[in-house]
Amino acid sequence: MSGSSRVAVQDRAAFLRRPEHRLLRVAALAGLVVVWEALTRVGWIPALFLPSPVGVLTELGEMAASGQLFVHLGASLRRLLLGFAAGGGAGVAVGVMTGFFSRADAVGQPLIAATFPIPKIALLPLLILWLGIGEPSKVAVIALGVFFPMAINTYAGVREADPLLVRAAVAFGAGRWSVIRKVIVPSALPMIFAGLKLGAGTALLLLVAAEMIAADSGIGFLVLHAGNIMDTTKLMVGIVVLSLLGLLSHWALACCERLAVPWRHT
Amino acid sequence: MRVIVDRLSKTYRDRTGRELAALVDIALRVEPEEFVAVLGPSGCGKSTLLGIMAGLLPATAGQVFFEGERRDGQPLTATVFQEFALFPWRSVRRNVEFGLEELGAAPEERKECVARFIAMTGLEGFEDKFPHQLSGGMRQRVGIARALAVDPAVLLMDEPFSALDAQTRTLMMEELLGIWERARTSIVYVTHNIQEAVYMADRVVVLSRRPGRVLDVVPIELKRPRHEGQMGEPAFVHAQERIWGLIKTQAQAALREGRA
Amino acid sequence: MRRITALVLAACAAAVLAGTAPAHAQQKVKVGALKLTSSAPLFIGVEKGFFKEFGIEPELVFFQAAAPIATALATGQLDVGATGVTAALYNIVLGGEQMWIVADKGREWPGYPLTGIVVQRDLYDGGLRGIGDLKGKRIGITTLGSTFHYHLGNVLEKVGLSLADVRVVPLQTMPAAIEALKGKQVDAILLPQPFPGVAESQGFGKILFWAGDLHPWQIATVFYSKKFAAERRRAVDFMRGYVKASRYYYDAVLVQKDGKRAPGADYDEVVRITAKYTEARPEVIRLGFPFQDRNGRLLVTDIERQMQWWTQNGFMKRTIPLKGIVDTSFVEEAAKAVPEK
Repeated sequence: MSGSSRVAVQDRAAFLRRPEHRLLRVAALAGLVVVWEALTRVGWIPALFLPSPVGVLTELGEMAASGQLFVHLGASLRRLLLGFAAGGGAGVAVGVMTGFFSRADAVGQPLIAATFPIPKIALLPLLILWLGIGEPSKVAVIALGVFFPMAINTYAGVREADPLLVRAAVAFGAGRWSVIRKVIVPSALPMIFAGLKLGAGTALLLLVAAEMIAADSGIGFLVLHAGNIMDTTKLMVGIVVLSLLGLLSHWALACCERLAVPWRHT
Repeated sequence: MRVIVDRLSKTYRDRTGRELAALVDIALRVEPEEFVAVLGPSGCGKSTLLGIMAGLLPATAGQVFFEGERRDGQPLTATVFQEFALFPWRSVRRNVEFGLEELGAAPEERKECVARFIAMTGLEGFEDKFPHQLSGGMRQRVGIARALAVDPAVLLMDEPFSALDAQTRTLMMEELLGIWERARTSIVYVTHNIQEAVYMADRVVVLSRRPGRVLDVVPIELKRPRHEGQMGEPAFVHAQERIWGLIKTQAQAALREGRA
Repeated sequence: MRRITALVLAACAAAVLAGTAPAHAQQKVKVGALKLTSSAPLFIGVEKGFFKEFGIEPELVFFQAAAPIATALATGQLDVGATGVTAALYNIVLGGEQMWIVADKGREWPGYPLTGIVVQRDLYDGGLRGIGDLKGKRIGITTLGSTFHYHLGNVLEKVGLSLADVRVVPLQTMPAAIEALKGKQVDAILLPQPFPGVAESQGFGKILFWAGDLHPWQIATVFYSKKFAAERRRAVDFMRGYVKASRYYYDAVLVQKDGKRAPGADYDEVVRITAKYTEARPEVIRLGFPFQDRNGRLLVTDIERQMQWWTQNGFMKRTIPLKGIVDTSFVEEAAKAVPEK
């Protein structure tokens, strides 16, 4: 076609934009629950195999009212927090040391590389032999699960610390410990938080495994026990609580991160 | 204090063991309260010289001395960096405070000192902001305040305004001169900008391209306090032309090699 | 974890099986069992051809624990189950999946050592003698809701204690429980033979009591799936083979005279068959066979008692009427139909 014409420019990249679709998000989740409830109501799936959402909620309410739920939750949270504190603390310390000091790096790197791929669940029987069947072995397996992502992420965070900032700190008279405390650790904080989030998932996984043996309380125990006695509604309550714990820990860590790493978010 | 750079050489060794001379036989002096600019083309080793003076790099040969009266606990140098090098997790106030912390100053003393230099650098009202919330010019004010706060014998400035846009740079230069008039510290100011060097310095040390040698030291005979109007004065133009004459061939050679 | 996986797999399998064609008349009867001495009547029935005699071809399917047998039965993957009665089984029926307890498959019975209460040697030497002395102690069992859990609770109640007076430590597997006793991580354990014998012969444990002497009960039964129970003729035929095997078993190994074992003519054969199927050494098998009724008749009242106990202790929501879970008509019909030798 030749001659003069007037063409309005179209937004050709419209399909590339990704709106949030908030309503759709809620609807998807609600839809799942509704379909689930409907399936159990109609009786296509026996309640034994898939307890109804209403049944699960009722059971959850009863367990909360009797205080049973909080006994389990308390026991699990205690193990999780202790394991997190021990594994996280050790992971950050080892990550900082190996990331900063070349000798520690030479010693620590091969050790971590060799032990990291071991599935921590496989170590559980050994931990029980070493630490007994009480709380220490349960906390230790969670701590081990948290340790590695923390150590590896902290190491990466330390290595990524801006050398210019380190130089600046030294130029203003900082010694090695001051550099570590005031430059290296804050630089590594975002990576440390990424490690914490990874560790949280691993910790929940290991919690269930740890509570398999010689536990008489805890959410993991609740799930296993309910499975053992075929109380599938209680089993589902445990699974729902585990999933809530996962969501909650992620959210809590994100909040902590916003507080601890304000320069990244404002 | 007086700084004496005594036949300083620096050779880098790369991973393959190849040696690369950065500085050869540099000798210069900075008198008390003097403003000396070190000027040279890119890659002439200006920053290396500053790093050795600050004690952040070892010299291969020669030495740097500081001579004269020094107060108890006074640091020899403080550095203002081209890329600001502010700690992103510290507020303006806490960044300025950093050097004082490392010197072990008491909290009240730090507070008083920080307030003085925040005022001197025009950062009032921004004390609690974080670096990423500030413009480039404001950030470098923080860098300058941080360096001045420790009251160094010599202030080392490594192309402090080259990351700023032209307008901001001009304003900051004027402001730095104002601050210097009040603080009266010796300054070693590294730059590759001839106009900047002539406008600010008492003397301009001109370095050759790599390996860096002192080509000449050009005294600037302009009255202080300086102002923009002086840029048209014959003394200014003359100094500028003289320096350009020294480095023009150097710069052309660098351009041909694709390194400029 | 394994149990949960089993449950999920069972659910999937059920969905698949539901769509397949109805069972053929001459199909094998799938029997789920554990490789334990208490399964001896089943092994005898297969080995001696007692089932075949009545036109039944059984296929033994072996499991690691009792609860998954109940699950497999509920999902129609098994026709018959022969194992311990656990809280899981009751809860499956309570959850609406019908199955039937039809015959005796082993009892805890005075004079027939099965489950032993074993305490640490040191504690025994320190004067621990009675069940009452277990107060405040850590007692290892396999899982909560298992037959051992039930038995422990009932034994404690005999002396006025309850489960709350001890610390029950679930250790998942029997070997783990024996290791825990060895490592002094628990003070006592409740385990079936041969574990108590091993603990005592190695010196770290002392058998305090045989639990069956303190509280006799119907620990194991034969279950029918809903589908198999509905095939009346085959279900009765299977039971006829089972009754015949039970009598053979009883006469060979269970007869006692003046409180002492009086082995029958076929004793060694039963030991050999049992050893073959359980893959255990004959001397271990000879330690003892669990008691069961000569005709495979159930202790029906005990089933009711069990449900009441599980309910009181929070493992079941409510009890199931006996009519809804026990059906003795198969064993009664078979016992009459099988002639004595």
